[in-house]
Amino acid sequence: MSLSVPGQEGTRPPLTRRRRRGKREGHPLSPYLYLLPFMALFAVFVVYPVGYGLWVSLHRWDLLAETRPFVGLEYYRNLFDPETPQSQFFWNSMKNTGFFTLVSVPLLIGTALGLALLLHRPIFGRALFRSVFFLPGILTVSVMGILWRWMFDNQIGLVNAVRSDLFGLPPVPFLSSEGLAWVPVIVGTVWWTIGFNMTLYLAALGNISPSYYEAADIDGATSWAKFRFITWPLLGPVTLFVFVTTVLASFQLFGQTLVITGGGPNRTTQSVMQYITEEAFANNQFSSASAMAFLFGLAMLVFTYLQFRIMARDARGGEEG
Amino acid sequence: MAAPSTRASAAPQTRAGRPPGRFRLPRDLPRFALLCVLAVIFLAPVYWMLATSVKPEVDVISTPTQWVPARPTLENYREVLTSPDGNILRWMWNSFFVATVFTVLHVALCALTAYPLARMRFPGREAIFWFILGSMMVPGIVTLIPTYLMMIRFDWINSFHALIWPGLAGAFGVFLLRQFFLSIPRELEEAARLDGASSLQVLRHVILPLSIPSLVTLGVFAFMGSWNNFIWPTFVITDLDKLTLPVGVNTFSQRYVTDYGKLMASTAIASIPVLVAYLLAQRYLIEGLSTTGLKE
Repeated sequence: MSLSVPGQEGTRPPLTRRRRRGKREGHPLSPYLYLLPFMALFAVFVVYPVGYGLWVSLHRWDLLAETRPFVGLEYYRNLFDPETPQSQFFWNSMKNTGFFTLVSVPLLIGTALGLALLLHRPIFGRALFRSVFFLPGILTVSVMGILWRWMFDNQIGLVNAVRSDLFGLPPVPFLSSEGLAWVPVIVGTVWWTIGFNMTLYLAALGNISPSYYEAADIDGATSWAKFRFITWPLLGPVTLFVFVTTVLASFQLFGQTLVITGGGPNRTTQSVMQYITEEAFANNQFSSASAMAFLFGLAMLVFTYLQFRIMARDARGGEEG
Repeated sequence: MAAPSTRASAAPQTRAGRPPGRFRLPRDLPRFALLCVLAVIFLAPVYWMLATSVKPEVDVISTPTQWVPARPTLENYREVLTSPDGNILRWMWNSFFVATVFTVLHVALCALTAYPLARMRFPGREAIFWFILGSMMVPGIVTLIPTYLMMIRFDWINSFHALIWPGLAGAFGVFLLRQFFLSIPRELEEAARLDGASSLQVLRHVILPLSIPSLVTLGVFAFMGSWNNFIWPTFVITDLDKLTLPVGVNTFSQRYVTDYGKLMASTAIASIPVLVAYLLAQRYLIEGLSTTGLKE
């Protein structure tokens, strides 16, 4: 039965259709309203500071001075002039940070993968082990730093106590010896951060189909062959992710050396981040420090770009899925 | 005959990707023993922290080393808690307050932002999203100094505002929530729209309830990030009463230098709430990390 009421038939269906579409699409400006709060903060605290920092690095910025004259690339040039103390200290800190990254990254990835492989297959107390290995990661950096400074105390730290009481060896002054001062920093960092990478590897190992290993078993593959030709290649994407995030974290070394060694002895463990903040906040050289920050940011660009690419790939994957 | 292996490979993976199979004693004993040794090594610093914290000062430095505290005392804890050099409980409260406000605002802000980016069609959507994501290429040190100079102009030095607002517009949260929102079937949203729901109602009653796991994950990350933030508050807060816990504990480290009994008591106090939270919420933390770290 048709409800053909004269005068309504022509108006009603279009009305509902229009209303429905109107509701579904919403007001054309509403997406921008949703974005407004974030974009406002983003503009003020992310975009603007980048430009402002560049401006500061090109001017002689003094907290108390009335004028801030334009000096061009002077502060950048200073960093490439071996005569200036800035270039000496900056490149020294770059060398230290580079050394730390070079040593710590393979260690941080290797130990995390090793632990994940140990924990992956069923074992009694698996969840407990996982919690124990993750536990140090929840400590805040100053707690971790004080703890490892105590562990490696020159005279009576736990490491020297074990050396002298159990092995009768003389104490090693780790904290005040150039070179050796890296030991507490690196050991402490491995202890502190291993749980994060281990967790990522455990998740990735769980995603490898057991059928690969079953096929390999039929072919009589050794466990090394299984690792080399199945596990390692299939872990490729995680390893890339872990590598990039670990490199970036190591480059931005700050708290560990600040608390454990204070950057010493003799600035041999001073990180770039520590030196830049020293130049800014202790020496009040904001322009010089800004120039260093940009140069350092540029040095990290390869890795920040890789990180961006990984996330971009995931973002596109999310759209397809 | 091939049945067992096909069944094993077709069986759905259990939670956290536990592989099929069982722990078998003779075969797995070396692995178990190795893990036990490693666990002991991992826990040794924590034990040493607690042991040192309950020793009187003489026993801390005595040789031969006192492996187990002979005369346990809470004196170090009493001195740290009543220290004239700073109130550690106050710092803890500051950190808790700042991290809580930050987390609530950050999660709300990221959800509001990720929603149109994942679910609406409008000019400039792609450009805005890639612009936000591109900001992850700017390391924190680049914005640290200019933001500090802005804090001076805002008169936010020694204010919690400085610890909350500058970090709120973080790209990672938008990325994480957008990814999750994209995975929610569109049909659910269309059904709500047909019932006449506005976009805000769809967000509140359809999208957010389905996204609780990822909201919790983002919340845990945001809280931990704010709680553990060290570089920024070190420079932007100098007032002893307004310090956050990590920075406050570090001032003790500079003041007590080698008075390790007191230092270990202060690190133990600083770690207790975190340990309790970890024991309660480690599932969210570890599963959040496992699922958000990478998409396969």
